[in-house]
Amino acid sequence: MEAESTENAIETRGLTKRFGRFTAVDSLDLEIARGEIYGLLGPNGAGKTTTIKMLCGLLKTTDGRAQVAGMPAGDRRASADIGYMPQEVALYEGLTVHQNIRFFGRVFGLSGRQTDEREEELLEFVNLAEWRDVLVARLSGGMKHRVSLTCALVHSPALLLLDEPTVGVDPELRVSFWDYFTRIKGRGRTIVITTHYMDEARRCDRIGFMRDGRLIAEGTVPEIQSLAGKEDLEDAFMVLAERSEGGEAA
Amino acid sequence: MRSPRFLTVTSRVFKELRNDRRTLALIVIAPVFAMFVFGLAFSGEVHDVPLIVVNQDQGAAPVPGAAIVSISGKIIANLDTKTLSISTESDPAKARSDIEDGDAYGALVFPEGFTASVVSEPSGATTSIELLLDKSNINVATAITQAVNEALLETMDQAGEKPPVTVDMVAVFGQNAKFMDFFVPGIMAFTVYLITTLLTLITFVGERTSGTLQRMLATTLSERDIVMGYAVTFSLIGMGQALLLLIIAILVFDISVVGNVLLAFLVIALLAVVSQAMGILLSSTARREAQAIQVLPFVVLPAFLLSGIFWPIEAIPSWLRPLSYLVPPTYAVDASRAVMLKGWGVSEIWIDIVALLAMAAFFLTLAVFSLKTRKD
Ligand SMILES: Nc1ncnc2c1ncn2[C@@H]1O[C@H](COP(=O)(O)OP(=O)(O)OP(=O)(O)O)[C@@H](O)[C@H]1O
Ligand SMILES: [Mg+2]
Repeated sequence: MEAESTENAIETRGLTKRFGRFTAVDSLDLEIARGEIYGLLGPNGAGKTTTIKMLCGLLKTTDGRAQVAGMPAGDRRASADIGYMPQEVALYEGLTVHQNIRFFGRVFGLSGRQTDEREEELLEFVNLAEWRDVLVARLSGGMKHRVSLTCALVHSPALLLLDEPTVGVDPELRVSFWDYFTRIKGRGRTIVITTHYMDEARRCDRIGFMRDGRLIAEGTVPEIQSLAGKEDLEDAFMVLAERSEGGEAA
Repeated sequence: MRSPRFLTVTSRVFKELRNDRRTLALIVIAPVFAMFVFGLAFSGEVHDVPLIVVNQDQGAAPVPGAAIVSISGKIIANLDTKTLSISTESDPAKARSDIEDGDAYGALVFPEGFTASVVSEPSGATTSIELLLDKSNINVATAITQAVNEALLETMDQAGEKPPVTVDMVAVFGQNAKFMDFFVPGIMAFTVYLITTLLTLITFVGERTSGTLQRMLATTLSERDIVMGYAVTFSLIGMGQALLLLIIAILVFDISVVGNVLLAFLVIALLAVVSQAMGILLSSTARREAQAIQVLPFVVLPAFLLSGIFWPIEAIPSWLRPLSYLVPPTYAVDASRAVMLKGWGVSEIWIDIVALLAMAAFFLTLAVFSLKTRKD
């Protein structure tokens, strides 16, 4: 299933999404290598979710092209290699944790045994083993997010597109999430992650900073820091944002 | 051997239903409730209609010197007391005012000297009785008229008089058929149609609003798998409902079924497939669960009124009739009725089956298409 290892996991050229006359994503050029953790950052409405939805084929692109897991974005043949975690919880509230995980395992063609094995492992990791047979409707918001992450991971995809996976998750668990991400990255998995947390941004191999649909800065953490001349990432983004606005005015 | 992927959707929807007692109750209880309510209310039989009898007849001797007889009395005795609830009154004017006040639906007035004139009239001449009726309620008025006519015929029969012409009824189909026999296939089709459409509509609006539909579409499941998965679920549920209704109809209402019940179930399952595809299609018009309710009248009313559940298509004005052929239950009602009452087989109901298949193909295609075009 894996395409050539030299190829990037994600490549976009001029990727654009317009809703009517509003441009949500503006000619985005991305190159994300295999085995990389790439953080997409940016204020609310920057276009992060829209980008991710285009990458997993849920939104048609208006312009430009995108290659994901060796296929054009939206090609069903790539779906098996992608694990998508939407920003909203998107679980069956009327099913138990186990039933949700089993469903998302089965749709990827896993056998009952395989999903059960993965489930045990993943529930251990998100610390929800005792909640296995509880209806999702009865879980707290953070717990739902953890189950949702589990559902995205169940088929061990090569590429993970995670839209704010750590929202509402307590700090201790967030740390263990990132340990896990780093661990599976070591096994060649590619992870694209959106976040508003700077400590998480710092753990990414590279970050892309989006604003008004455009990628206004990209690079490793030190690169971003030196680009902005600020040590603090938050300050760095402020400077970069102002600079891009200034550039627009000029 | 891997099972087809759409069955994962089927099994998931079943699990959701199993976890949801309310919906489960809707599936099981609603059809049974509908059958009892409609079955008892619309049974077509009229009971205990208040009728006033005013008998001014004194009776007469058939031949001079013989004992006095009262033909009016005999007729009154022959009135069907199940249909009618009879009270007597001596003043015709009072009887009339009772009807005007709504205390009675009719009054049967025998004039003075009724028996005498019947006995003495030469044959061929007629004597009349007066029947005052509240005809604002056609069903009741018809029931009274029929009961009075039957009493007259029976009295004549007892007197050895024969009416000049009689009609012999021969039941080609439906020997001893009761209203329920006619009604059960209709209510079967209607409840399956209604509940399936509603349930898919609500479930699917849920899939859309919760984001699970998008999530499914980001997996290896295709739009077709999703629609197929739902179709299998709801055709099975539809058959289950039909089976339940049939069992209760046989046990409680003692209906008689002459045809192949399996064929009737197949027709109902086809209807369920059409209905669930409509439900998915309709869900694309609703962004929130509450909006789904707005399409309800358009789902319920045409099917209720035009599909021939309560009265035959032939009773629908001809200009409206083409609409009947646009509502899916019409074909299922017609086919399951023909199978269950007349014992017809595929060779007789194939038109209905083809119509349902065509509708299924049409709506399934549209449903798949509606999922695809959401990615604007
Ligand atoms: N279906 C849609 N129709 C119209 N506009 C949309 C649609 N989806 C998103 N937008 C707009 O596109 C812009 C980008 O939205 P997007 O959800 O991608 O932002 P985001 O970066 O994910 O923000 P957040 O951090 O809040 O999740 C927003 O201004 C939003 O209003
Ligand atoms: Mg977002």
